[in-house]
Amino acid sequence: MQRLAKRWTDLVPGALFLLAILALIEFAARTGLVNAAVVPPPTTVALVFAHIVTTGVFVVPVLQTLGTLFTGYAAGCVAGIACGVLMGSFRAAYNLFEPLTEMVRPIPKPALLPALMLFLGLGSTMKITLVALAAFFPVLVSTVQGTRGVDVTMIDMARTFGYGPAQILWKIVLPAAAPYFAVGMRVSLGISLVVIVVAEMLTTNGGVGGALIEMQQQFQVRQTYGWLVVLALIGFGLNALFAWAERRLTFWSAAS
Amino acid sequence: MNSDADERALRIDALAKTFGGKQPVMVFEGLSLDVRAGEFLSIVGPSGCGKSTLLQVVAGLLPASGGRVLLGGRDVTGAPAHMVYLFQQYSKSLLPWMTVEDNVIFAFNHRLHLGAREARERSREHLAMVGLQESASAYPWQLSGGMQQRVAIARALSADPKVLLMDEPFSSVDALTRMELHALISELWERKRFTTVLVTHDVDEAIFLADRVAVLSRRPATIAELVATELSRPRRAVETYEDPRFLALRHRLLERLLRKPEELDAAPR
Repeated sequence: MQRLAKRWTDLVPGALFLLAILALIEFAARTGLVNAAVVPPPTTVALVFAHIVTTGVFVVPVLQTLGTLFTGYAAGCVAGIACGVLMGSFRAAYNLFEPLTEMVRPIPKPALLPALMLFLGLGSTMKITLVALAAFFPVLVSTVQGTRGVDVTMIDMARTFGYGPAQILWKIVLPAAAPYFAVGMRVSLGISLVVIVVAEMLTTNGGVGGALIEMQQQFQVRQTYGWLVVLALIGFGLNALFAWAERRLTFWSAAS
Repeated sequence: MNSDADERALRIDALAKTFGGKQPVMVFEGLSLDVRAGEFLSIVGPSGCGKSTLLQVVAGLLPASGGRVLLGGRDVTGAPAHMVYLFQQYSKSLLPWMTVEDNVIFAFNHRLHLGAREARERSREHLAMVGLQESASAYPWQLSGGMQQRVAIARALSADPKVLLMDEPFSSVDALTRMELHALISELWERKRFTTVLVTHDVDEAIFLADRVAVLSRRPATIAELVATELSRPRRAVETYEDPRFLALRHRLLERLLRKPEELDAAPR
């Protein structure tokens, strides 16, 4: 068995490897092994990133991206859980919606961009809709699975104590399936970030993705990499936040 | 019948259960049994004879295909109040996101609507009955199997049952824990006198705890035999198991249960 708790010494090899890669790129860029105009030295990118942070130019694009992301993500998750519980609880609902979801679910969501742009334009409504669609399906699928997987003993137990269907849904099914909601939501979070950045890049209309493509189009290669670091940190931060919330809210699922 | 007037009396009248499908399975048919108010009755039978199904139909968890269940002379529809079910799988019937104390509160507070403090007191009071007051704020999965089943017992009792239905509740704990739980349930029953139906495949357990033991036949099951144990109470783990009356009953019931199917079917009532 592997230990779950990490010791700080466990982090050393990975960190050293990362530093070695960065040093290698730095060396290659400085000595001309690679074209420094295309692959700038990491130290230069670090300076650009520091500039982006200290001058505060990151604030507006990051807030735009996060605002759109959270609105769409929240809408997609809520709808996914609601429809998933419905489909997981009632066979009729499942039979009604299952063919439709199986048709729409496999479409890579960025492919919906051109159509959505026609309907909703380039603004945030379109992006929120796209993110919501992208977030919806993973949550739906794992919610259906989680709702169906709720142990019948738990439900029977509540029935014998005189709980009605609505109370059972609220007090048994939702909490019991919550770890599955979380699995879907974690997948959705990653997809949502991808989709929002793609949408921003294609519309060149605000957000970190917009900044990224704008810099690239102006051949500001160092700036492009600087914004990439901003995106990487956003992804890292969102994941950490999610893991923390998941541990707190579904604490029993890892333990039991 | 006079005992029908007592709301603890449970009458099973010509009950039938058939599972549908292409090849319908008739689990039991024309099964009648009177459980007296305040009585402890065990039901034993060969595995797969439909003991658990019978209990689930009685509890209103499964619909009957025919016949009736009467509690205190009234038809049982759905899951009646004051009829409490103790499941075999304690680990699946306890809610893992709630503390032990909240699991117990879950059994009564949707009906009693007590304030937070009173609910807690009632919960702790029942946990104390099973010797678990120390574990009130633990989570079920932090406890051993025997302790978890004791939580389930405390939860069942906190709902103030008039009838307690037990579906092999002691079959998934180790032998010594099982004997401790026998002593506990026996003591609690003597104190509260709720009508109790225990379904089990363990003949020793059935005799040790019960006033009467019903033996089910193979499918479609009916009551093949009904015997009064007539053992003195309180029952004691060491002494009761050595009582000649206990041994005679054990001999008789085991012989009956181990008989081959064709012999069992031919046996006179």
